[in-house]
Amino acid sequence: MELSDWELVQKCQSGEMSAFEDLVSRYYQKVYMVILGLLRNRDDAMEVAQETFFRAYRKIKSFQGGSSFYTWLYRIAVNIAIDTQRRQKRNPLDFRETMDEVLEEQNEVAKDPFSDVHDKELRDRLVEAINDLTPEHKAVIVLRTLEGLSYKDIGEILGCSEGTVMSRLHYARKKLQSKLGGFL
Amino acid sequence: MSQRLKQGLLFSSLTFFVAAYLRAAENSPQTVSVKIETILASNQSGEFDSRLKALEKQLRVLKYRSYRLLKEESQNVPSQGSASFEIPGGRSLIVWLQDFRNQQVALKVRLQGGQKPLLDTTIRLPNKGNFILGGPPHDGGVLVLSISANAQ
Amino acid sequence: MKNCDSTRESLGAWLDGELDRAESEAVRVHLEGCVACKEERRQLEKLQAALKSVLDSEASRIAFPPFWSSVQQRITEKSAWREDLVDWLRSVFSGPRIAWAIPAVILLLLGVLSGDSLVSGFRNFGQRNNFASVESIDAYGRNVALLREDETKTTVIWLYQNQEGEDESTTETRPSF
Repeated sequence: MELSDWELVQKCQSGEMSAFEDLVSRYYQKVYMVILGLLRNRDDAMEVAQETFFRAYRKIKSFQGGSSFYTWLYRIAVNIAIDTQRRQKRNPLDFRETMDEVLEEQNEVAKDPFSDVHDKELRDRLVEAINDLTPEHKAVIVLRTLEGLSYKDIGEILGCSEGTVMSRLHYARKKLQSKLGGFL
Repeated sequence: MSQRLKQGLLFSSLTFFVAAYLRAAENSPQTVSVKIETILASNQSGEFDSRLKALEKQLRVLKYRSYRLLKEESQNVPSQGSASFEIPGGRSLIVWLQDFRNQQVALKVRLQGGQKPLLDTTIRLPNKGNFILGGPPHDGGVLVLSISANAQ
Repeated sequence: MKNCDSTRESLGAWLDGELDRAESEAVRVHLEGCVACKEERRQLEKLQAALKSVLDSEASRIAFPPFWSSVQQRITEKSAWREDLVDWLRSVFSGPRIAWAIPAVILLLLGVLSGDSLVSGFRNFGQRNNFASVESIDAYGRNVALLREDETKTTVIWLYQNQEGEDESTTETRPSF
């Protein structure tokens, strides 16, 4: 029978590394997705995701079960991601992930004038629009859209009230809508 | 002299020299030497010019099959001054030194085609570091410029 | 009875299932009779779907074993490093206090005199990569891309093919202007 998160945490707290491995396997993809939504760069997201679990391991003894494990974990992830994003914002230009993407685009422009670019354009514009959001607005959009977390859980992760989550989501969605214009 | 006192003096001497080095690192140099390596990247052959060994890791990310060093040029750029480099295909690269602080060199770089600006960028790179600027077509491939700065 | 403005304010929360029963019902009733707000709902749903699809495809690529291996490595390496440091510090700082009076005074003086340069110096001292900060780019209407090479963190600025064919000569290879 599958152990609950709290049972696994308790095993971790008594030194069972295999229990921590189980927790990581449960959440590593979700954590990565959330961070990728915030950072938009695969390498940075991977780095932050691994750092998240490392810090969770170091702090596991301090987790008392007051919140759910995944909100505690996401809180660590989002904090590191927001810090990383703030550091990156000092360099305001957005970096592409790989040269493949650059060359692919160059080839598409040269060779494929009849392809349906609408979905790709929507995706590109969406990526750009998300990158323009502040870290806090991006965080609420990502946590709600990807994880379907309640406003209460999002508030717990971000350390703000449900009302603040609601208003940030409303603002972020309006901003994205206005930037995507006729693509929606 | 006791063992502990020797350890203490060694530790404090090391600290002194580290601090002195760091302090010296803060002094702004009169000039920065800027080096431009002009490289032709293409898929026409699989050759990697051995003179580009030091840049191999950086260039591999560009996914071309061959890289050839066309020319290499260094100029001293005075503080608040500029230097112009000739680039194949009737182009030129102008580099302005904006400042040098905390072991970081701030450059403004303009790539021109004839008299027409193609790209301006302001970039801050670590002393002795470089960045890559690529894309302009040339001779069956593309030009890739490695721009490095060395504060003296 | 809700009007369009207040419905649109609540639409996101309604889709998220976060409104109470009365509010939720009011939004539902308004949507039944309002084409404009229905369109707003459609756009919001499409936005959610687009965002989810952009990121969902990424997560499924991540295999567990290498991820776990990297996490384990961090746990092992960082723990070992810290313990070594503690042991070293313990060995260095044990002994008669009087022997440390001279270096302590020297350190204090250096701290006062060096001040900011020490802090900024240390910030750069450990710098081993080629990380550059691009503060601005103007490609005069052309497309340009920024990359960072993984290992050395070298910045790459790529000037795209000019589609309108200006003075730049074009050749038939890929990519070319």
